[in-house]
Amino acid sequence: MRLLVLLLLLTGGYANAHQFTPTYPKLEISHMPGIMKADMVLFNDRFEINYYGINVFDEKWNPVRFATQNKIVPINYKERKYITIYLSGTGIKNAKYICSKSKILKSISTPSIVSSRICSKLK
Amino acid sequence: MKKLLLIPILAATANVAGASIPINGFIESKCVIQSDTPGMFGNPTVDKLSTKSADGGVMPIIRYDIVTASKYKAVITTPTDFSTSPNLSDSVEWTSTTVAGQMSDSEMSVFNSDKAIYNNGHTTEFDLVKAGSVWFNVTSEAEYGYGKAFPSGNYTALIVAECIAK
Repeated sequence: MRLLVLLLLLTGGYANAHQFTPTYPKLEISHMPGIMKADMVLFNDRFEINYYGINVFDEKWNPVRFATQNKIVPINYKERKYITIYLSGTGIKNAKYICSKSKILKSISTPSIVSSRICSKLK
Repeated sequence: MKKLLLIPILAATANVAGASIPINGFIESKCVIQSDTPGMFGNPTVDKLSTKSADGGVMPIIRYDIVTASKYKAVITTPTDFSTSPNLSDSVEWTSTTVAGQMSDSEMSVFNSDKAIYNNGHTTEFDLVKAGSVWFNVTSEAEYGYGKAFPSGNYTALIVAECIAK
């Protein structure tokens, strides 16, 4: 059993993974008055994925207005991107989850595709 | 003279400083989603597409790596529609299961006993209360109309694997 897990770990590695950190980002004061920001890190280790969508939600999973450089982030395989999310007004009060979701191109024709989404929680 | 004596002492100190270069690392709490095995539909009968190996399919496997226990929950949603397919004139009935299969720690079996299923059985939620790696096995079956043959063509369906911070 342990050998099998070890073999899977060695052969699998992180060949096809999605990471979005930190788990619990903190809102910080930005350079603009009344605007708060959260710094996130996106790492793409999925070779078939080149775009990730960024979204912000409240506690009940309603979308919250936010600003960032790209809401659809172009990212290469094995690339790490630093993403700053800007929130203002009620967004500062309501935002609870910051999520990144893999975007799959129509040209990918694998019969069963996995779309990955990781959500961090503002505390 | 005193200054001359200081030179070897300073040189020795510099050597010591040069020999100790720290490498810093920080392991942060995170959840990593890995698409381990892309699935494949088998076509055991004309009206059925299935990822079960008994039906000639390949079961999609999604791996989750959990660095810190009890920080995330995994939510896996199986398809209820084809993302690409030929024109379908009749309805498609979807059934699916999601279970934690291979796991790096036997105590992770609690994921299966405590899982929550909703959305007509298409969404399964696992509380990731143990750290380690776990492989979720997903089966998905699509049946077309009432014994109707699926038209020939390319079929693609989407599984959504999520990691939500608690």
